[in-house]
Amino acid sequence: MDYDAIVVGGGHAGIEASLALSRIGFSTLLITQNLDTIGKLSCNPAIGGLSKGNLVREVDALGGEMAHLIDHSMIQYRILNRRRGPAVQAPRAQADKFTYARLAKETLEAQHNLALFMDTVVDILIDDHNRLVGVVTERRHTITCKVMVLTTGTFMEGRIFIGEYDASNGRLDEPAAIGLGSALRKKGFPVGRLKTGTPARVRRSSLDFDQMEIQDGEETMMPFSFDYDSIQRPALPCYITWTNENTHQIIRQNIHRSPLYGGKIVGKGPRYCPSIEDKVVRFPDRERHQIFVEPEGVGTEEMYLNGISSSLPEEVQHAFIHSIAGLEHAQIMRPAYAVEYDFIDPQALFPSLESKLVENLFIAGQTNGTSGYEEAACQGLMAGINASQKLKGEKPLVLSRNEAYTGVLIDDLVTMGTQEPYRMFTSRAEYRLNLRHDSCDQRLTAKGFSVGLQKQEALDRLKDKLAKMDAVKDLLRARRLEEKSALQALRMPEVTIADFLERMPELKAYEEPILYQVELDVKYEGYINRQERQISRFEKLESLLIDENLDYDAIEGLSAEGKEKLKKVRPLSVGQATRINGVRNSDIAVLIVHLDRGGRHGR
Amino acid sequence: MKRYVTDDIIYALATAWAQSALAVIRVSGEGCRKLLSTRFSRPKALLEAPNATLVHGYLCDEGGKAIDEVVAAVYTEGHGYTKEESVEFTCHGSLAVIKELLALFNRLGMRSAEGGEFTFRAFLHGRLDLTQAEAVQELVSSQSQRSRSLALGRLEGSLRSLISDMKEQLLGIVASVEVQLDYAEDELDEFVFPRSKLVDLIKQIKDLSDTYQIGRLYRSGARIVLAGSTNAGKSSLFNLLLKQERSIVSPVRGTTRDYIEADLDIHGIPVRLYDTAGLRESNDAIESEGIRRTERLIGQADLVVYLVDSTELGHVPEEDERTLVVYNKSDLVKPPKGRMAISAQTGEGVGALLTEIAKRLAKGSVSTGDEQVVIESERQHALLENAAQALQRSLVLVDQDIPLDITAVELGEALQNLGELTGEVTPADILQKIFSGFCVGK
Repeated sequence: MDYDAIVVGGGHAGIEASLALSRIGFSTLLITQNLDTIGKLSCNPAIGGLSKGNLVREVDALGGEMAHLIDHSMIQYRILNRRRGPAVQAPRAQADKFTYARLAKETLEAQHNLALFMDTVVDILIDDHNRLVGVVTERRHTITCKVMVLTTGTFMEGRIFIGEYDASNGRLDEPAAIGLGSALRKKGFPVGRLKTGTPARVRRSSLDFDQMEIQDGEETMMPFSFDYDSIQRPALPCYITWTNENTHQIIRQNIHRSPLYGGKIVGKGPRYCPSIEDKVVRFPDRERHQIFVEPEGVGTEEMYLNGISSSLPEEVQHAFIHSIAGLEHAQIMRPAYAVEYDFIDPQALFPSLESKLVENLFIAGQTNGTSGYEEAACQGLMAGINASQKLKGEKPLVLSRNEAYTGVLIDDLVTMGTQEPYRMFTSRAEYRLNLRHDSCDQRLTAKGFSVGLQKQEALDRLKDKLAKMDAVKDLLRARRLEEKSALQALRMPEVTIADFLERMPELKAYEEPILYQVELDVKYEGYINRQERQISRFEKLESLLIDENLDYDAIEGLSAEGKEKLKKVRPLSVGQATRINGVRNSDIAVLIVHLDRGGRHGR
Repeated sequence: MKRYVTDDIIYALATAWAQSALAVIRVSGEGCRKLLSTRFSRPKALLEAPNATLVHGYLCDEGGKAIDEVVAAVYTEGHGYTKEESVEFTCHGSLAVIKELLALFNRLGMRSAEGGEFTFRAFLHGRLDLTQAEAVQELVSSQSQRSRSLALGRLEGSLRSLISDMKEQLLGIVASVEVQLDYAEDELDEFVFPRSKLVDLIKQIKDLSDTYQIGRLYRSGARIVLAGSTNAGKSSLFNLLLKQERSIVSPVRGTTRDYIEADLDIHGIPVRLYDTAGLRESNDAIESEGIRRTERLIGQADLVVYLVDSTELGHVPEEDERTLVVYNKSDLVKPPKGRMAISAQTGEGVGALLTEIAKRLAKGSVSTGDEQVVIESERQHALLENAAQALQRSLVLVDQDIPLDITAVELGEALQNLGELTGEVTPADILQKIFSGFCVGK
């Protein structure tokens, strides 16, 4: 056995998976096609955002790396949705993409137990018991291992499109990984195609910022990580401009040259992140669409045109970009392009992210049909943790829908699959009041510790934080303001904890995040209690466990479609079964009756 | 909850247990045809009949003696009401024949079905959704013509389409809020909460929820007590309404010592009518007991029809929601102007009285048309009430300018309640609505 674990791919999923495995103590090899593109931000130079910021902090609370990387590479920090309520607020940071990728590689290189190797995996090796035992690479190396995490991103049979041009690339001018997709298809994996896209990058010195709106970040940057209280980084602004009727006219006139509309691309693209062609076609009444002009880093002139991803030919891109205010003389340094790639239907995975087809094979990231760095990172982390659990012979760590967006994401993927690149949204979570980003550590740090990934210091910090929060609550409870205690006053919508600082200078002894979190706890208590009732209903069905080998053919009364779907997904609880598309209420009733009659098996 | 099993053969009389021209006995369960063919005059025809066909023949006892001439409607698995293999026998409606056939089926080893068990099987096999299953149950137990047409309306899905429409409206409101929570403020247009849409929706849900009272009225019926001084003509009216001599009608005061009850149908509403002892002081112990019971009955009644003798007036109670004052003997003395008057002797004014009674029972809110959608089950009523209350709370939150993430919890609760009426609403439905209605995404 060459290694305990092999991780294929050095993107945001591969980074987390390889660090988790090696930190927990297993000898790990990360194989990547190109060591120089580890941790690359292929699309927008930003980390976080609504629900995605929560994912980053969840990864951090469990002992992952993403928060550290962005904390030390950010060049703008914002809290989104301040006015719409704390449950849906989230941090978002612009990154210096070079610093981000450099830090990622440095972190991997500094990691004990972790080897890095540049080659392309073209096939996996399976023994007679359908267990994964190793990989074969392009340069004909055979490397053996006990577990593997597959994170191929957009590279598996990737193909990029710019108008009539197309090439076998995973990113512009980076060769796709050819062979593995076909090999997996042959082995019976349900492989499909998805599509995504990225906008053009233009040269800073060619832009006219006077014609744009400036967008600054917050004055104070706050860390994503729970490991420290503050960060000091240089800040750069972003800019906002808009398309106009002329832009739309150019796009409409050339729409037939889009590979998407011309039928060259078969993979489905994301509805939530449409290309500018899609926006113009689907919303013909809109007079303009917003564009964020974002710096790609401190040491580069490249600017990212957020909002106008496209796969139109380059001369059309030139024409419509030059029709936009402030971009009239923009020098396009890299064109926008669409990329189509292989993904593996995640319904073929258990909630641990282990394959149902091949034991010891875990799959994470874009390979599972997701999109986004954060979505990839949290899966990579969970796959790494669960591959470690497997090596240790312990139960997998499966996060519930009511404790982490990561839990929602993985449950959605393995239960429902996906028809388009899956992005996290707050509305995918039924109990988002419980999933606030500032309390991720309270929900997850102990779990990270129990699987051997999170450090004792993190637990100590959490304990310290909780003690401080209790102390602040005690102070507020003891302090009378007119009729009420300060604690009661804080429940009123218009009152904030900052209002008390004058009258209660003793509060100033506590850090801002502590005070903020106390404020949210107090304000949300009543609503969270209301939600608890819904959660207990939810947990009742989640606790009805189903054996993964349950013989659905032996159950009378299931609808044909329901039976087929149940056999495919093999849910581990009745709760999970209720979320499968095509499983009817009557199927659930039959299933419950069957389990009640003694068909149930605890795990 | 009653636990049913589905792996045996059940039978039941599907029509009323009463003498009639024809009756239907239903049998359902895998293997029922094979079993029945052993007592059927044309076993091969029964066994080989394709789905949804009729087979004529005789059901015979163990000795081969014909019990009755029947027509068997055959359904193969996957079809028919329960979607199980099943046979519906139309036989002659004599109670003796029905009894004998049911006994025969029992001896064959089939099981007499529990109430609602056919419907339960239909539900389990995906034949019906919950609202339809409830409607079938009500159809079976409905008491009157009007109630029956309401139940039929539900089966055709008028309730379902009404609730689906409300759900769709709510989904629109939810999506407009959720898109604000899923995307950053700088990516979206200025947001104005669709307050008037919400107010309108709350009213629609309340209106539907309020029909519960009417639905229950048609289903469970109402109690009407005839009250009034002795000899006011209560029993004459009672008999007139029943069109049969059931009460003892005599001109001697205080003859009706206890009360007499009878079922009748007033404008489609099933009514239990009580004729009571007259209200007056009495030394007669038996009669006093009767008066005491009368008072108790009046306390429980949905409507008290208080009869006043126009020839002697005396005590006239106040009219209120539950009390209808009617002047009897209009043929003898002209009653006060503008008051409800009848003559139980000649039948004058009784038609108008019945209309007034129906109107009072339905609290004026029921239309006379048969197409109105009403809800009749407690479950539906509770879910609609929960939805309306959650929406009401969300309206308060909106008006107080509470952050949207909390408002969204209440909206979600309402959506969940409506969803439980016709089928779940998933987060994917909400996202679908967002992507189709809003231009979002950087």
